[in-house]
Amino acid sequence: MGKLSKLLLALTFAFSITSSAFAVVVASWGGAYTESQKLGYGDPSAKKLGIPIDWVDYSGGLSEVKAQKEAGAITWDIMDVYAMDTINGCDEGLFVEFNFDKDFPPAPDGTPASQDFFTTMPSKCAVGNILYSWTYGYHDEKIGSNKPKTIKDFFNTKKWPGKRGIYKTAMHNLEMALAAEGVPSGKLYDILETDAGLERAFNKIKELCTDPKGGCVFWSAGAKPPDLLMQEEVVMSTGWNGRFFNAEIGEGAPIKQVWDAQGLDYQYMSVVKGGPNEADAMKAIAEMTSTEGLAGSAKYIAYAPWRKSSLKIIEAGEPWYKDGKTNMLPQMPTAPDNTKNYFLVDPIFWADNSTEIGEKWEAMKAGL
Amino acid sequence: MSNETQRILTTDGIPLEESLKKVERKNKIKAFLLVSPLLFFLIIAYVSPILGMLFTSIDDRMVTNMLPKTFKVMKQWNGKDLPSEKVFEAFYQDFKILVEENRHGKLATQMNYEKNGFKSILKKLRRKMEKFEEGNYKEQIMSVHKRWADVEYWRALKRRSPSYTYSKYLKGVDMYENEKSQIVQVPEDRRIYKILWLRTLEIAFFVTLFCFLMAYPIAHLLATLPMKYSNLLMICVLLPFWTSLLVRTASWMILLQQQGIVNDFLVWIGIVANDNRPVMMYNKIGTYVAMTQILLPFMVLPLYSVMKTISPSLMRAGKSLGGTPFITFWKVYFPLTIPGIGAGCLLVFILAIGYYITPELVGGASGNLISNQIAYHMKHTLDWSFASAMGLMLLTGVLVIYWVYNKLVGIDNIKLG
Repeated sequence: MGKLSKLLLALTFAFSITSSAFAVVVASWGGAYTESQKLGYGDPSAKKLGIPIDWVDYSGGLSEVKAQKEAGAITWDIMDVYAMDTINGCDEGLFVEFNFDKDFPPAPDGTPASQDFFTTMPSKCAVGNILYSWTYGYHDEKIGSNKPKTIKDFFNTKKWPGKRGIYKTAMHNLEMALAAEGVPSGKLYDILETDAGLERAFNKIKELCTDPKGGCVFWSAGAKPPDLLMQEEVVMSTGWNGRFFNAEIGEGAPIKQVWDAQGLDYQYMSVVKGGPNEADAMKAIAEMTSTEGLAGSAKYIAYAPWRKSSLKIIEAGEPWYKDGKTNMLPQMPTAPDNTKNYFLVDPIFWADNSTEIGEKWEAMKAGL
Repeated sequence: MSNETQRILTTDGIPLEESLKKVERKNKIKAFLLVSPLLFFLIIAYVSPILGMLFTSIDDRMVTNMLPKTFKVMKQWNGKDLPSEKVFEAFYQDFKILVEENRHGKLATQMNYEKNGFKSILKKLRRKMEKFEEGNYKEQIMSVHKRWADVEYWRALKRRSPSYTYSKYLKGVDMYENEKSQIVQVPEDRRIYKILWLRTLEIAFFVTLFCFLMAYPIAHLLATLPMKYSNLLMICVLLPFWTSLLVRTASWMILLQQQGIVNDFLVWIGIVANDNRPVMMYNKIGTYVAMTQILLPFMVLPLYSVMKTISPSLMRAGKSLGGTPFITFWKVYFPLTIPGIGAGCLLVFILAIGYYITPELVGGASGNLISNQIAYHMKHTLDWSFASAMGLMLLTGVLVIYWVYNKLVGIDNIKLG
């Protein structure tokens, strides 16, 4: 009996430690990205606030947290989400609405938080985290001496025959198609709103995918584009700039990316309403998205911090990359050299139209 | 007296018949209690989720309750032209209450499922509404966004008025009910579900066929070889079965890709030219190869268990009666294996019809099956009622196949092992 009760006691103790009911749980996308978050601002914030921060992986979407809410057992406090999901999650009442200037600390020079952000938020439930970008990359050694430079080159199968890797859903592909047609970036979504414009974008993609010299391979995971290029499945592939950066600088692969007509997109964080530690979660999110916090994550991955003031810290600390010799600012989607021609991915357009365009997209894919 | 002797009594004086019944009843209760945890488990883990799914797929009370006045006034609207001022006013009043209770976001999500573009115009309406003046709501709402003057959006609103609806099932076969209550097809460039259903069936059918063609000889070998060889062969069948699905899928990707091992080998032995390597990945070939290999054990095992029980003397008897090897196989051996074939085919087909990770990874554009769409609506659009409807349609499809099989072969003939 004595042994048994001791064992039970030990077990309860072990269980109470591992479950750590007091930690703030953040759901994010895993891989190099979560690593950059954890090392860049997660661990420092936890140390500063004395609140443990745990990281769990998920693959996007709001289904898990909706199910948790319906079951009455919310286990996540903070989520790293797409813009579209912050809009939908806010509408569904899943996330806490912020008062930006009150809930988030000002920049070191005293600028209020809302003025320090790059643009306004798509919803009241989202606070900006990083800016990333949709670019395209190629295998530097296999492409030949003539390197692609513009978005038009991505569609030029005469000069660069071979398959292209594109994202599996319509998002970004349609914008890219119109940009290659020469539509100025400010007008992309106005034209996509019209039936004729949508048709035009669809035809451009269809032409590329049915071209006997071209063809399409669809990717879904962010790690795939550099992989497809290295395996020579495709000659060019769209992808996320941080992943190309990771392949090129982090791993030394012969991959180069083209910034022309890059699609700037944002990643946000939201606090789950009614989560186990809502108050601690608010403190943690404020600390993590502070000027120093966001600058910290840029040490590990080439995504731009959401706060303008963070750039100053990076600039002062160059070479900022963890290897100690790579300057980070020129690698950012927001660097002046990279933003000569760019467009902003419009979350409201996609929140509105993703189902219908998605159906058209799948119908097109089915006919390839 | 004679009556007394006919009824046999126990030592307690109770008629034996009653006493037996009592014991039997006790046993029945005991037996029931024994299986009751399982029954309970089945109800909780199997029956109730299916009923729940059925209910989610037809339940639309949320929207009905959100716009009570609007739907009441809308009953008089013919659905042809733009609705009257009355409808606009009722809608304005309903929506105002929703905004006050902070429930308008849910309405926006729901309406956006019905007709894309609703989300932003409802949000815009919410912002502009604060400055609305009393009266003439039609004009004021229509000035918020041009889509409010589009009759299609009002028709979409009307379609959501019933509390219970089968519209999600119609959507699952590319149909919808128009304003004249006719069931018609959606515009041609948006018909995708029929294509996906057919593709799912096609892939499941061919995977089952390939599995059968490959598993039959393997199972026969397993059943007839001496123990020491058959054990080794059995391990070869089971080893992949114990390996993770993703690992096996990833290995096929390494094997089949353009610069992969199979292609390298073909180039090396000179069958194909280096610049003309066959495409075996990111198309249907990849899906067939990977899924057949992954599902093969589900065909081999039932076949093996049936073949093991067939006595070799039957074949010898057939031969001694003058049958050629083919005739004896076809007339004696094959009919005896039908229970195993049935079990294997049903198992593989049902598993294949719901597969989606492997096709998505190796199938390229053709790897999008109906289950991928269910997952997409579960995870990304959060349209759970549509996902439930499609899930149930898939389940019904499986049950129909089961029923057809039962009619053709007879379910008693199935042998799972």
